Amino acid sequence: MIGRFVVRRIGVAIVQLAVLAVAVFFLIRLLPADPVARFVGLNATPEAYAAAKANLGLDRPLTEQFAAFLGLAGDGRVPGLLQGGLGVSWVSGAPVAAEVAAYLPVTLELIGLAFLVAILVGVPVGAWGALKPGGAADKGTLVYGLFAGSQPEFTWGIVFIFVFFVGLGIAPGPLGRLSPLTEPPDAITGAMTVDALLAGRPDLFLEALHYLMLPVLTLAFVLSGPIIKMVRENTGAALLSEHVLYARAAGLPARVVARDALRAAFAPSMTLIGVLFGFMLGGAVLVESMFSLGGLGQYAIRSILAFDYPAIQGVVLVISAISLAVYLILDVAHAMLDPRVTL
Amino acid sequence: MARPEMARGGGAAAGALFRIGAGIVGLMIALAAVGPWIVPYDPYTATEVVSQPPPPLLQWPGLLIDTLFRGAPAPHWFGTDASGLDVFSRTIVAARTDLVIALAANALSFGIGVTLGVVAGYYRNFATEALMRLSDLLQSFPVFITAMILVALAGRSWGNIILALTLLYAPIYLRLTRAEVLTLRERGFIEAARAAGVPDWSIALRHVLPNALRPALVQSSVTVGFAILLTAGLSFVGAGVRPPTPEWGLMIATGAGQIVLGDWWPSLFPGIAVSLTVFGFAALGHALERRHAG
Repeated sequence: MIGRFVVRRIGVAIVQLAVLAVAVFFLIRLLPADPVARFVGLNATPEAYAAAKANLGLDRPLTEQFAAFLGLAGDGRVPGLLQGGLGVSWVSGAPVAAEVAAYLPVTLELIGLAFLVAILVGVPVGAWGALKPGGAADKGTLVYGLFAGSQPEFTWGIVFIFVFFVGLGIAPGPLGRLSPLTEPPDAITGAMTVDALLAGRPDLFLEALHYLMLPVLTLAFVLSGPIIKMVRENTGAALLSEHVLYARAAGLPARVVARDALRAAFAPSMTLIGVLFGFMLGGAVLVESMFSLGGLGQYAIRSILAFDYPAIQGVVLVISAISLAVYLILDVAHAMLDPRVTL
Repeated sequence: MARPEMARGGGAAAGALFRIGAGIVGLMIALAAVGPWIVPYDPYTATEVVSQPPPPLLQWPGLLIDTLFRGAPAPHWFGTDASGLDVFSRTIVAARTDLVIALAANALSFGIGVTLGVVAGYYRNFATEALMRLSDLLQSFPVFITAMILVALAGRSWGNIILALTLLYAPIYLRLTRAEVLTLRERGFIEAARAAGVPDWSIALRHVLPNALRPALVQSSVTVGFAILLTAGLSFVGAGVRPPTPEWGLMIATGAGQIVLGDWWPSLFPGIAVSLTVFGFAALGHALERRHAG
């Protein structure tokens, strides 16, 4: 039962990704941009312009470009999508897949830590707000959730830099992932904290965490809004449900009842975590650029502003693939917790 | 039976949130309307003083009296930025940039989404099914990155930002309205109109549409808030309006370089303006949602 559900769900995700790949390819080329002029400059001679156009492969018909993107045609030097390649960056000349693989761990590390902090704070606070409907905690968490959830990352990043770096001096400046004077550990996973641990350097691990302090705080603050709102609402609904009413009537201690209610609130909350993950990838773009972390978001900004089509396609596809994978895992987990979903 | 959870967070809290939200939204719309005529300095012209901090808060009442009644030149209330532009004037005038873009994008996506939503809910055939799949596809793109791509590649103008946001938000209205129409079309009064021989287009326009608008209207406030966030975010990363347009995200980005030197005012004041405005729209949206949930 669950096996068939998983297979069907993976099939749907692959189709979605394939449609997305085609859509992003044509969408970019539909827009009235001239990447050739971007690369050769406005004062280029017609010959230089034509040479650059041929060099980028833009002189070929769209169908041929698309075949090369998929890996069905072309000279075979560059692996296409069907071979697992994402083309070659027009700016750096390096394979996009390799570049994405280098930048992605930074972003995942940032988002992962932000999620961890936001959940560790948000779940107890949200549940606390739900305990007494109409009480001060209920109103306070409602307003906080609404406020934090609507806030721009760039404002708070700047406030935090000013307070914790300029004012208090307890956080490092927004200059990257380690002090410029520190020799970074060998890049194994690409995530600085993990690499430091793998290299057996707890000092570097702590330094990397220190540099991640403000970026993680910024993202976790914004993320805590919807998490608190969601936990508060779901726990509130669970507390009013019949099985919790029964547990209360049976005289179980409040702690046990609260645990039951939290578990009941968990399943409906999972769908939102998937949505938030996609939302966080956007927030990561702003936070990475503010703190110069050099993650996938910054790579996206650079590629988009440089009209680097292969890199843009690669970023969109990788981010969408991750989002789809997160949805897939959450759906499967949801189906395991609540078998009615597979019906 | 009136379920107790319906009352949760409602009542007084929703009323207060409504007043706060409506107040902030009203103030910002007023500033967007008259901003350029009430500011003391031209937002595009640099003054002689560069990176001047704002006057201490205690001196503000005296300075205000001097300016209003004694004909003294207006102080730089929020200081000046690194190129000598008056931060106060630019923060006020920027309300017009951000609100016009966000409200226009919301109006367009509302109009397109609701219209298509009524059609897709009322006529269920191959074309509307394809429309829904197209909307699914649009919604599966990562929002912020897609907005950056659309605006940067199409050209960084107000119009293109509005169009990009419209494309991203129309599917939300389409989906909300379609779901509402799907429940409405089974209702008795629609069936009665059909039985009375009212033509389809007339039922859709005069009976379904007015009743299907509610979820989309409630969503509007939330969407405008997100549109402001996105507009400012795009400018912040260099994929939005062009400098020296007064725009909150752009001002924050311009001032961000100075913040490590301790010059907090060029980016903090526009930052507060965005924070306040999006919170206003979120609070108003939440209160409206609560009001119409029952």
